[in-house]
Amino acid sequence: MNPQDMKPKRDPWYRSKTFKRFRRNPLAIVGSLLLLGFVVVALLAPAITAPQLANTPSARPCLRDLGVKRSEAVEALRNPLNAVFWKAVLAPPRSCYNIPRASFSPLPKPPSKKHPMGLSGDSYDILYGLTWGTRTAFYVGFLVVGISLAIGIVIGGLSGFLGGATDNLIMRVTDVMLSFPGLVFVMIVSVIFGSGLTTVMLALALIRWAGYARFFRGDILRTKAQDFVDAARALGASPLRVFLKHVLPNAIGTLLILASMDVGAIVLTASGLSFLGLGAPVGYADWGQMISFARGYILGTAQGTPFDFWYVWIYPTLMLVLFGLAWNLLGDAVRDALDPKS
Amino acid sequence: MTTFIVRRLLQLPIVLLAISLLIFGMMQFLTPEQRAATFVKSEQQAQHLDQVIRQYNLDKGFFVQYGSWLKEVLHGNLGFSKQSHEPVLTTIAKRLPVSTELALYMFFPTLAFGIWMGTMAAIHRDKLIDQIVRVFAIAGWSLPTFVLAIWLLAVLYGYLHCCGIGRADDKYMVMFAQGTLKTYTGMITVDGLLNGRFDVFLSGLKHLVMPVLTYMVVASAQIMRVLRSSMLDVLNSDYVRTARAKGLPERVVNLKHARRNAIIPVVTIAGLMIAFMIEGVFFIEIIFNIPGLGQWSIPAAIQLDFPAVIGIALLTGVSVSLANLAVDILYGMIDPRISFQ
Repeated sequence: MNPQDMKPKRDPWYRSKTFKRFRRNPLAIVGSLLLLGFVVVALLAPAITAPQLANTPSARPCLRDLGVKRSEAVEALRNPLNAVFWKAVLAPPRSCYNIPRASFSPLPKPPSKKHPMGLSGDSYDILYGLTWGTRTAFYVGFLVVGISLAIGIVIGGLSGFLGGATDNLIMRVTDVMLSFPGLVFVMIVSVIFGSGLTTVMLALALIRWAGYARFFRGDILRTKAQDFVDAARALGASPLRVFLKHVLPNAIGTLLILASMDVGAIVLTASGLSFLGLGAPVGYADWGQMISFARGYILGTAQGTPFDFWYVWIYPTLMLVLFGLAWNLLGDAVRDALDPKS
Repeated sequence: MTTFIVRRLLQLPIVLLAISLLIFGMMQFLTPEQRAATFVKSEQQAQHLDQVIRQYNLDKGFFVQYGSWLKEVLHGNLGFSKQSHEPVLTTIAKRLPVSTELALYMFFPTLAFGIWMGTMAAIHRDKLIDQIVRVFAIAGWSLPTFVLAIWLLAVLYGYLHCCGIGRADDKYMVMFAQGTLKTYTGMITVDGLLNGRFDVFLSGLKHLVMPVLTYMVVASAQIMRVLRSSMLDVLNSDYVRTARAKGLPERVVNLKHARRNAIIPVVTIAGLMIAFMIEGVFFIEIIFNIPGLGQWSIPAAIQLDFPAVIGIALLTGVSVSLANLAVDILYGMIDPRISFQ
């Protein structure tokens, strides 16, 4: 008999108990739907904002880089049979991330037919900034999670595998990283390397790995203590083989799932930094930046009409909060499903 | 207990040394001219940077440089901030009380509110109040500090005209500036009371409403979550059942038996909260126009004012280590089972 056949048959993931628990949680469904909405908005950003691209003179570099004429832009960007549509959806040029300005007026303008969500401070189109900003949000979130997870897995893995003094030293370093405020760290990094989206992402990744390394180390130690690891060792497998073949695959799953739920938190942090002026360059489509355009207009006009410029701050903040909410609902449901006790 | 505290205190210099090495290590990415800025004491000196470079061995090896830098830092010379046009230490001395006052008023209500919510949710598990608290927690968790601050600013200040931005009413700020009211600590509420002026104290409190409310909603969620789950564990334990079986009133069982033990993980979270709180203070200062450390150092970071940012980094490192020390000692006092290995 082939030893492979002796293994108990495992249910596919979609029939597992964990997934069932997740699926039955109504909050998980709400979170998933919200998130799906954000994915659609991000993907269809060029189609949604096609009229703004066609009608705002400052959007010309984007149209030029896409290779489409102004008169044909709306038609082309909304027609999935056109090659321009796919180019704009899948690989938009950098110039398309610049929010078009309707004029040089510093004052916001209320929603109109041409600009459905209105114009923010300095006449930046709000709808454009928010839809393309969704792309920036996903990009920043996934990239920071990816980089910090990679660092965390390597360092946490080393810590759990080697143990002893190395483990102790690494854990003390993570202690320091975890108790140091991220904002101050980003300030140091951006003063040294110059501020910008890349710097912020780098700085966030350099802070967040510590949490993952710790978590991963804990899971490795738990897995190491299980019987099947002892069995593998008893069969004469080398320590490295035991680690790579038996410990690592069993310890890594939870970390990957939980870390992927951090995308929301990272986007909230990155937006906060952009709001302060430490993130994206001026005019780059980014939610935090949209909120910072609104800063001077939150209290309305001097005549004492507070909600005069409601559209400049309500839309961007709502977008950001819904994004955070979607990930947190999802993350909460995932944690509940993985650990039914909590 | 005493040996535990003494041992923990002895660790502090090592931690501080490590932090200073880390910050100095990061400074090595700067050019000698930029590093020289962190030694300069006045604008005149800034004109002769090459002299400064030679004086502080900035063209020598790493450890020689580190030695002369550490000596300057220990003597209180953190360089000259171009953002505030004065030595970094002077600015910090002026602004630290403002941020500290804010942080103290933010910390305790948040802690109390989080503990109260966590207790209620755990006692009434799966009842309506538990559901409300949990939804509130997820909502609070998803709200970034700066977004909630903007909403409160628009609604409470812009629309309802209650509370206030800044630190106190303008007339009191003018009186402080002119010297009619004496400045003792730099904290408005404390100084108001020391001057015997209750109205100043009240004005200070009124201007703290929005910052404290912002932080309470954003940060109490985490405390609530931790306390709720640890309280649920404790409520299922044998000694709680024994206490109930003895016929003790429910209130005594919940608060005296269960919560006392469930609160230990909250102390850990309170320690981690300190780092989060520094960020919160910075955002809140910027949005509510409070002239504390954040309102100076964040523009400084954008303007590439190295000395200011490095000064803030050192200050943060020291205060976080001190706070962690306090939490560790508190931990040992609350839970006698914990001792130092």
